Amino acid sequence: MSKLRGSFNIHALVLGVLVLVLATGVIRWSMLGGGIGSKKTRLAFWNGFTGPDGVVMLKIIEDFNRENPDVEVAMQRIPWATYYNKLTVAGSDGRGPEIFVVHTDALPRIRRAGFVADISDLYEGPDAIDVDDFDRVVVDQVQFGGHLEGVPLDIHPQGAFLNKQMLKQAGFVDANGDPRAPKDRREMLDFIGKATLEPSGDLKDKQWAFAFTYWGANFRSLLPQFGGRYLDEKGNAALDSEPNLKALEFLAEIAKNKQAPPADNGLGWFGFRTKRVAMVWDGVFMLGDLTRLNDFEYLGAPIPQIGDRPGTLANSHVLCVNKSVSETEREASGRFLKYLSDHSLEWASAGQVPARKSVRANPEFAKMPVQFAFAQQIPTMMYPPRTPVIFEFMLELDRAVERVVRGQIGPKEALAEANKNAQAVIERDRREYPASYAEAEAKP
Amino acid sequence: MKRNPLPSMLMMLIGGVFILPFIFMIVASFKREAEVLQPDQILPKTWDLANYEAVSRNSVEAPVGLWFVNSVFVSSATTLLVICLSSLVAFAITRIKVRGAKFLLNMIVGTMMIPAQLFLIPLYVILSRMGLLDTPYALILPAAASGYGVFMLSQFMRNLPVAIEEAAMIDGCTLPEVFWKITLPLCGPSIATLAVFTFIGSWNDYITPLVFMESVTNYTLPVGIALFQSSYSTQYGLTIATSLLSTLPLLIMFLVFQKQIIESMTSSGLKD
Amino acid sequence: MKARRKEELVGYLFLVPYLLLFILFVIIPVLVSAWLSVVQLDLTNASKSAFIGAQNFTDALKDDFFWQATGATGRFALLMVPSVLVLGTAMALGMNRMSQGRDMVRALVYMPSMLNVAATGILWQWFFNNEFGLFNYTIRKAGGTPIPWLTDANMAMPSVVLMSLWWTVGGTSVVVLTALQQIPKMYFEAASLDGANGRHIFFRIMIPLLKPVLLFVFVTTTIASFQMFGQAAILTGGGPTFATRGVVQYMFETAFNGYRFGYGAAISWLLFAAILVFSTIQARVLKSQVEG
Repeated sequence: MSKLRGSFNIHALVLGVLVLVLATGVIRWSMLGGGIGSKKTRLAFWNGFTGPDGVVMLKIIEDFNRENPDVEVAMQRIPWATYYNKLTVAGSDGRGPEIFVVHTDALPRIRRAGFVADISDLYEGPDAIDVDDFDRVVVDQVQFGGHLEGVPLDIHPQGAFLNKQMLKQAGFVDANGDPRAPKDRREMLDFIGKATLEPSGDLKDKQWAFAFTYWGANFRSLLPQFGGRYLDEKGNAALDSEPNLKALEFLAEIAKNKQAPPADNGLGWFGFRTKRVAMVWDGVFMLGDLTRLNDFEYLGAPIPQIGDRPGTLANSHVLCVNKSVSETEREASGRFLKYLSDHSLEWASAGQVPARKSVRANPEFAKMPVQFAFAQQIPTMMYPPRTPVIFEFMLELDRAVERVVRGQIGPKEALAEANKNAQAVIERDRREYPASYAEAEAKP
Repeated sequence: MKRNPLPSMLMMLIGGVFILPFIFMIVASFKREAEVLQPDQILPKTWDLANYEAVSRNSVEAPVGLWFVNSVFVSSATTLLVICLSSLVAFAITRIKVRGAKFLLNMIVGTMMIPAQLFLIPLYVILSRMGLLDTPYALILPAAASGYGVFMLSQFMRNLPVAIEEAAMIDGCTLPEVFWKITLPLCGPSIATLAVFTFIGSWNDYITPLVFMESVTNYTLPVGIALFQSSYSTQYGLTIATSLLSTLPLLIMFLVFQKQIIESMTSSGLKD
Repeated sequence: MKARRKEELVGYLFLVPYLLLFILFVIIPVLVSAWLSVVQLDLTNASKSAFIGAQNFTDALKDDFFWQATGATGRFALLMVPSVLVLGTAMALGMNRMSQGRDMVRALVYMPSMLNVAATGILWQWFFNNEFGLFNYTIRKAGGTPIPWLTDANMAMPSVVLMSLWWTVGGTSVVVLTALQQIPKMYFEAASLDGANGRHIFFRIMIPLLKPVLLFVFVTTTIASFQMFGQAAILTGGGPTFATRGVVQYMFETAFNGYRFGYGAAISWLLFAAILVFSTIQARVLKSQVEG
């Protein structure tokens, strides 16, 4: 009746696990560059560039660190989905990074936490960044109460990605026989008709001309084309206007007439990358992933003009500095921001459009076909609304768009409901945080 | 008893159905990215190691090697703490029977009923203030406070006859000696089971590292894999290859400890 | 009794490490959570946390999204629990009757639970994809009409359940199988000697003897279903139009994306209340069943 089951040794188990912990602990420490502190000014740089764009950014940072031996910029990537919350928590706790990226539309909300610094001084002086080197609309977005709180690094408009082969097959070629994109409503519908091939029962032949990527963004790309807007002059929700309705109706029609497959999470890109969807609308940042695919010929073009004028949705990455940094850190951060801005052409290769006009004028930029094509939309692009409740606002709008695109409810009804809910959120926020509304300038 | 071959065949079929997605994954992991999800092409046109190469490259954007090390570190540290602390507590409660032992056990078991998600937000705030966010200790320490191990080992020890331990004490062993030399070995299979389940649970935990980790270099495997499905796109090939590699250690562990696990399941708990 | 005092001292020493962690990471968070649920805390304006009493709770009860999330979680539980019980038991019975290869099949059905939730979700996302997914491809090839697995609001949750079943029912069947194998053979022999047929044996002997483990599975599966998060979040993101967004995901989103920590905490307490009510009922039933 031996109770001690000799075949299993518990002491060995405990010891074994202990060894495992110590071993991996050491490995981890060395992999994370377990170094001892140096004399350099260490700047933590947070952003959400977790895709291939992060690789490009890392290279730029390495170059900067080399050219500025007294500074060490360390990049920290956090997926966009949880980025803003983590940034805010860290910032409020005093653990925040010295430099961080904020999307233009998120800036009104983030700056409320009180750790975004006024960096107007980076635009002043002989060596400074030239404020006129940006488009008016771009730099206006980072202006609060008369001072500037960020440096726009880039612009990422939404545009059309098209499969060259499928364009040719549908007969969309120019005088030289090169494929060209549909440029307006008529051509778009024509393209859909020609490039959507009915299956003969075999998946090999089935293809679509167009598929939704993220329906919310698809809608917001059309909104400016009809003269639509999100807020009125007083900063109240104005989603249920005629122009907005027309924009949404276009998408509703496409979905209803089955001119695009049912909106499925990630479907559009999946189909595009497997060459079953000819055209998708999305941000220029998707380029980074496309470049990884071999033997795939695609081109970039502005969003077809479905409405009565050209237009698209745009957003930007803005570089900001933490308020609570020391003098040395501030100076170093300024240097880094300027460096990044000056090198935004290199950044563009990650699938972005440089925010600086002078950089765009560089002939090297024209050699980036997709970015260059998307950049043509800058004069007519429209940013999301400037409101602190941007996340909740977009949630309502996108939900309405989703319901319309899935055929659950009509556009008019959807926009009316979204407007009501969005307005409720705005009013609640006004009640709870009157200070931010006093100084904010509501621009549609 | 008649030996009917039908159940065997049926169950093997069912087993096959369960394992089929795994086979898909294994086969798909050898395809190039563009092909990975073509359903009309189950077998790869060319067998390609590209996905595994990407994994081994330990790139900046997908440092799979680092995630693996993180996972091992976090899971083994959690397991170590859990088995050590839980056995100590169980011993103190069931053998030494300190004053207040019953109350303590009831409280620990009571808190087990609270859903883990309730702790998420306050832990986030607490760990942030403690400066532990974005470190592996944010994952290890709260997990080690779980009552599951205490409960499981207390149950087991309670049912264990005290004869040998009492004999040892009469022979002059101190309590710690009894604990280390006698009680622990007696609880061997239970502790092994606890270790395996703790390890697996920690290894596959998704929501906690999602919330508590900030930098990609501190990720564990599940959150890392989820990263492949981002706003940019979903990299299926990489996801599949990484998922398979991340499951491998668990499979090995399960096979190694199978005997102990089944043994402890039969001798304990379910006869409550 | 000096010896006893010394013993107790050792005992307390044994307790200290764990208690430290327990207080710090269990007791205090529970208290903090209770505090959070009665305040309004917005991190983008950290100085502003105001005590608002039960408002978070009443807000939740008036919140359509909250009820929608509750419905989603409820639908999940309603579909999942019976499926797990029936399928798990059936599989266990099947494995029990296997003349050979039982260990292999047991390992095969258990393997899916080794996969983590992210990998499972992404894999099944491909299976379920409307246009290019494996399931619809096979259906189309066989001449049928494709099923809108994840795009139809009514079909989405059953799809989540299907994936969850594949993922977890193996573990359940192993647990039930273990219990089955512990039923002493002589019960069966005695019964068949008495002339009982298969059906009789199953219902009159097996089920009653399996009651404890089945109840255990019932309770644990239900509680786990109430806490469902990763499966739906990764598979569908909570869609389409939040049809699969459960309570936990809603709580996660309000707290971490919407910055409303107080509200999120209140929701988690409501979830706890639901689990508590359920567990108490189950404990009563369990007690009477097992002792009865």
